[in-house]
Amino acid sequence: MNEKERLLSTLGGRHADRAPFICPGGMMNMAVTELMDAAESSWPEAHSDPEKMARLTLAANRLGGIENTGVPFCMTVEAEAMGAQVSLGSRGNEPRVTEYAIGRLDEIARLRPIDPGKGRAKVCADAIRILKKEAPETPVIANLTGPVSLASSLIDPLVFYKGLITDSQKAHKLMELVTENLIRFGDALAEAGADVICIADPSASGEILGKKAFAEFAIPYINILVNYFREEHGIPSIVHICGDVRCLGSLLSEIASESISVDAMVSINTLKELAPAKVSMGNVSTYLLEKGAPDDITKHGERCLRIGVDILAPACGISPITPVVNIKGLSRAALEVHTPVAL
Amino acid sequence: MTRERGDILKDLMDGVFLMNEELVIKAANEIVAAGYDAYDAINNGLIAGMNQAGVLFDKEEYFVPELLICSDAMYAGIEILRPHLKVGDARVKHKVVIGVVEGDTHDIGKNLVKIMMDAAGFEVHDLGRNVPLASFVEKAKEVGAELICLSTLMTTTMDGMATVIEMLKEEGIRDAHKVIIGGGPISQAFANKIGADGYADNAAGAIRVANSLLAKVAA
Repeated sequence: MNEKERLLSTLGGRHADRAPFICPGGMMNMAVTELMDAAESSWPEAHSDPEKMARLTLAANRLGGIENTGVPFCMTVEAEAMGAQVSLGSRGNEPRVTEYAIGRLDEIARLRPIDPGKGRAKVCADAIRILKKEAPETPVIANLTGPVSLASSLIDPLVFYKGLITDSQKAHKLMELVTENLIRFGDALAEAGADVICIADPSASGEILGKKAFAEFAIPYINILVNYFREEHGIPSIVHICGDVRCLGSLLSEIASESISVDAMVSINTLKELAPAKVSMGNVSTYLLEKGAPDDITKHGERCLRIGVDILAPACGISPITPVVNIKGLSRAALEVHTPVAL
Repeated sequence: MTRERGDILKDLMDGVFLMNEELVIKAANEIVAAGYDAYDAINNGLIAGMNQAGVLFDKEEYFVPELLICSDAMYAGIEILRPHLKVGDARVKHKVVIGVVEGDTHDIGKNLVKIMMDAAGFEVHDLGRNVPLASFVEKAKEVGAELICLSTLMTTTMDGMATVIEMLKEEGIRDAHKVIIGGGPISQAFANKIGADGYADNAAGAIRVANSLLAKVAA
């Protein structure tokens, strides 16, 4: 099986020869400075140049043993296209929003629609086209900023969170607009050849929103996205939920994606209990990945696989100063433990 | 007709923790009009309500949106009452410097801790987010802060917390400032490892840790 067949089979709930080891990109960062040197493609330039973007993610695949490629390397492409000011950061720091696009929920008319033919949205689609040519057997993951996280990149999160209670109709209007735009951007990435969609929504953890607001403001919009990409493009989705998902309980299983990825504090057994029908993904501590010895990382990865994780992956974005030998340590666990995917 | 002090205080408290800012504003204006003590109204009305909201947050009945709305109501009431404080009301408060360490812009957790510290009667100096590490030390020296609170949500910026502690050591003022750390990837084990004085896993916990550290200093 090649990397693409293995990941797509696993996400489809079909038999695979072993569990894949992936690191999607986006919030779930895969780029480290050592790879930037090897690929001669460094942040921040790689955020706005399709050649460099493709080269850096390919280096993660070829040198780090990560069994996918993925774009972009941040969560700011959509917000910038819609009107937020963004700093692209530095070699060791990811891009971030420096100025929100709007100040109040009733200003959403001022938000611009994402134009996938322009700016860094186009860079991402172009990078995917390069990756499809360069590495046709490696799955390309298109990373979308989760709807709540995008909304709270366009308006101050404090204003947004309060609005969920005090002005819920307008908050829903913003969520609808954000979701439409994510579809527009996702369409372009899917048409460029993306094989999998990954949505990470760190601003929508159960610990921040609570169960009720998570059910009202996170799940419906995430589900519109994943159902759309499945039905319109035949593409499966991974949804990463930050924080302790135990406070969401059985709500977790209402997320319509094929796979759910969780943070390091959640055990894979808990994930399987709460969302038994989902392909489980996770959840090696990125702190261990950065600081641990390669052998310990391999052992930890093997433990995750023996518990039955379906896709081995870091529990969050990896730190840009993580040594490549550590990433390869995790890759080794996937190569050595041949547990067939059991669903 | 003037209502009893206790009835108005109850409105202030309920208004804060039931997220009813209009009720708070009405009751605060009533305190002023009746000539009741503004300091008493802030402490036994508004702050008591915020502390109740903190209890609900601790019990996972309230979450971030609720706590933010409660704090807006509290601050709206404080705005009205503050001009009516008497000269002798300003007690010496414990001073705190708080911020999100450099490289990280996630400040929701830090904001919650700030709100609860305001409510708990600390004098809070908020440096904001993505704060250069040396600024924590400078500000703590400048205002004579007893506590430095460091927050981060990212594993990539955790080590900045250790750097702040090293800077305090280098300047020979480590013992003058207690350091409390918190945020998503932070644990008690990490706090022990870098030699922080305390760790808190949520906003209410931060107040408990702060008070217990200050009690130790006093003892």
